[in-house]
Amino acid sequence: MDETDLQLRRRTYAFFVEHGRAPAAAELGDREEVVAGWRRLHDAHALVLTEARDELRMLNPFSVAPTAHRVRAADRWWYGNCAWDAVGICAALRTDGRIETSCPDCGEPLVVEVRDTWPNDESLLFHCLVPAKRWWEDIAFT
Amino acid sequence: MNLFRSEEHIARWLGEREPGATISAAKLSELAHAWWHDRISPDWVPHTREQNQAILERLGLTGEFWQLA
Repeated sequence: MDETDLQLRRRTYAFFVEHGRAPAAAELGDREEVVAGWRRLHDAHALVLTEARDELRMLNPFSVAPTAHRVRAADRWWYGNCAWDAVGICAALRTDGRIETSCPDCGEPLVVEVRDTWPNDESLLFHCLVPAKRWWEDIAFT
Repeated sequence: MNLFRSEEHIARWLGEREPGATISAAKLSELAHAWWHDRISPDWVPHTREQNQAILERLGLTGEFWQLA
C-alpha cells in the first residue's frame, strides 16, 4: 500500500466520519482513479467494496449500509458490521456510545452503553463463529 | 460475530454447528478498543499480521481458533 493509496483511504474515512455517509467515487476525485485505488485498498483488506467493486460496502469497523448492529456515538447513528465492529466504532471515534442490537437466538433487543471503553452490561456474551485464519475468506459472512 | 444473552442462547442458536469462540462483553470491548482505536487516525498505517496477533495474545485470545495464519 503506497502513500497515494493511504491518502485515498484517509480521505475516504474522513469523508465518511464528517458526513455520516460513504462518498461516491467522483466525490473524491477522478472517478476511475478513485475506484482503481479503492480496489487496491480492498485487495489489501483496508476497506471492502461491493461485489461490483466500484462502491464502498465496509469502512471497517463501519458498515456503509444499515445492519443489525446500530451505534449512537458522536451525535450520530452508525452501523457496525458485527458486534465487535459496533464496539469498534466507539473505539475508532474515541468516544462513549450506545450499541443497539439483538440476540440472534431469541431476538430480544440488547443495549450496551460503552463508557470510558467499558460496557455497562458485562453479563452479555460475544460469540465468534469463524476461526481467525478464515475471517477474510468471506468477510461479509464473518 | 454477535452478542448473546447467555451461553444457553448461543448453544440454541448454533444447533448442530461447530461452536466458535465465546468471550465476555468486557473482553470484547478490550479487543475492539485495541483493534480499532487507530482506524481513523491520520497516522494510520496497516497493522501487520504480527501486530494483530500480538493484540489477540495480549488479551489472552490464544489457541488455534485465534491464529490469524
